[in-house]
Amino acid sequence: MSGPNEDNLSPHTQLSSHFFGDLLDSIIVDVASECHRIAKLGLDRNLEEEEEELRLSTQARVRVADPSNSGETNSKYVVDIFGQTHPPVANEIFECMNCGRSIMAGRFAPHLEKCMGKGRKARLKATRSSTAAQNRYSRGSPVSTYSPHSNSSSTNRLSNGTPGIAGEEYSNGTLEEP
Amino acid sequence: MATNNPLYTNPNLCKHLAEYKLRHTLTGYTSFKNCLKTTGNGRTSICRSETKIPRCCSCNGYQGRFFMCLVCSSISCSSHALLHAQSETGHDVAVDIERSELYCCLCSDQVYDPDFDKVVVSKHMMDMPNNTHVDDGIRRSSKRRKLNSLMDLDLKKCKQLFLMRDRREKSCYPLGLRGLNNLGNTCFMNSVLQVLLYAPPFRNYFLSGRHDRETCKKRSSDRLCLACNIDVIFSAVYSGDRTPYSPAQFLYSWWQHSANLASYEQQDAHEFFISVLDGIHEREGNGRTPTKDNGDCQCIAHRVFSGMLRSDVICMTCGFTSTTYDPCLDISLNMNTSNLSSVDGANKSVRPNESSSRCTLSACLDLFTRPEKLGSDQKLYCQNCKEKRDSFKQMSIRRLPLVLSLHIKRFEHSALRKMSKKIDWHLQFPFSLDMTSYLSSSIVRNRFGNRIFTFESNEADTSAEFEIFAVITHSGMLESGHYVTYLRLRNQWYKCDDAWITEVDEAVVRASQCYMIFYVQKMLYHKANEDWSCTPMSPLSDPFCPIAGCC
Repeated sequence: MSGPNEDNLSPHTQLSSHFFGDLLDSIIVDVASECHRIAKLGLDRNLEEEEEELRLSTQARVRVADPSNSGETNSKYVVDIFGQTHPPVANEIFECMNCGRSIMAGRFAPHLEKCMGKGRKARLKATRSSTAAQNRYSRGSPVSTYSPHSNSSSTNRLSNGTPGIAGEEYSNGTLEEP
Repeated sequence: MATNNPLYTNPNLCKHLAEYKLRHTLTGYTSFKNCLKTTGNGRTSICRSETKIPRCCSCNGYQGRFFMCLVCSSISCSSHALLHAQSETGHDVAVDIERSELYCCLCSDQVYDPDFDKVVVSKHMMDMPNNTHVDDGIRRSSKRRKLNSLMDLDLKKCKQLFLMRDRREKSCYPLGLRGLNNLGNTCFMNSVLQVLLYAPPFRNYFLSGRHDRETCKKRSSDRLCLACNIDVIFSAVYSGDRTPYSPAQFLYSWWQHSANLASYEQQDAHEFFISVLDGIHEREGNGRTPTKDNGDCQCIAHRVFSGMLRSDVICMTCGFTSTTYDPCLDISLNMNTSNLSSVDGANKSVRPNESSSRCTLSACLDLFTRPEKLGSDQKLYCQNCKEKRDSFKQMSIRRLPLVLSLHIKRFEHSALRKMSKKIDWHLQFPFSLDMTSYLSSSIVRNRFGNRIFTFESNEADTSAEFEIFAVITHSGMLESGHYVTYLRLRNQWYKCDDAWITEVDEAVVRASQCYMIFYVQKMLYHKANEDWSCTPMSPLSDPFCPIAGCC
């Protein structure tokens, strides 16, 4: 550890530089010792595979970003692997299992919502806080203005002690960050 | 300690250490035990005397690293350690007194010995009673048994499906691949259904007819069980008909269920995923196992997707640890936004050289398992210190599920501005994932300086190696977006965009914006690929040919 002009430093500063140097050396040796152990015991043996995955990922992003590549065309007009094409709105017709009417597939959900009495107006509550809207992706669609699943219900997600989800410890769904 | 998946390589002793051990056996190590000083954070140092500062026996210096000879306990600094070893025969090995690491002066290298580590760890155990959660053996779920039974494919039932196959079927595509019609903003549902249709143990269960709709209906006349509806979808999708299927009946059934499940009305694929698994559990699990411990629940949802998380709260002063276990169906990960510069969400340009600003799945997993200091307002009462202390919390995975579902939390909110936005950054994820370093055994061991010691009952019967089989991506904004699923079948990726199934290159998947990633245990992945090789069909031959040795 040498300062820009050691002779001009007071003995006090020299001493503190010296101690700092000792501490720094000690920390460096600590880290080296730790890494040495990890390496010798083979605890990091996946390093190569990880680097390979990173490389592939970078390559992939470059390739996909390249406009000259036949990118994803609007997939609503392509032919699927079975040689079929489909209209943007599914036009299969079947019977509603609630009321028996014939409904077109692409309009089934909005119909069912009203049919089952789960209309948005019925369930709309004033948004209590912004946290209500956060935990999901709401669905707006150019085709229909309805969204079947109302917003504020996601507050229930926070307080809902669903057995399948681990406790709030790992913040699943918890939106308020400490 | 024998494992079929060794968590570490057993190190070779250098010849000097080997000679030392021959001559002194383990008494040399154990005599050190009294000088070992442990601290709450897993550090072990050697302290002979409380009052004297260690000084080098050769130069009398007090600076630098010190090594204490294993034989005569004389202390040398790093410059003179070799001198000591050369001047006295047999005094080759020393101990670094700062870290209690063995150091061979003649090899000039740090060396390792499991027996020494054992002594160090036992000192830690002695100093800290009730530290590690002793739970071994109690929860040793017979994973092997589960594994085999779940992967068993009872093909008698499947034969029915195959015979019903439509002649129009393109015979060279994987079985069961079929588009799902969007019923009106239901792509969140379609995307998850496609994953369930292909999750290997889950799929095998339903295709083997293990959920019998007839007996199920008889048992409970009140409502259609969600699993029955899923069974219907399986039959439809694997029937051979390739025209897109409308999961209308399922939607109806799920809405009937979701009304009861604390009014879940979701548009989020992840919420839907959890809701479906809970719905299956509710019917299947409750009937048989009234235990509240979902880890041992036998319903198909838990057998396939359920794992166990471990949460430790550690006192920073003495190291006393309080441990709890919680079952989980998936793991939600925060994106590590710390080392990313102010990247605007709209700026999606690819900067391949800036690997340091890359967001990766392993970084997110590191974040998940990293020790997190609890705020000073959250001081916990330490039973050892008998007062409130600063502590830190650390998560780890006690038991991995067969199918590992990872959920990336891409929403971000600002409490100040009361608005939320989506994090659009690309997340790199591997196709092969090794979860070893996130297991509780690894995390706990790391806390004790990575000593060679088995800290947890061996979860070695479950492998930690996974292969990806599905990705659910979200594109668009928080307010309006679209879900698409990518499935990997026999190393070919397929894009399932509602009714459209297309083949895509793996680069597309790697570059996509993942929202949920699904991995299955490597062994199951390869077995699944074997079982379901496509069989070219001719109308004359039996469409069902015995699986053993097929393709």
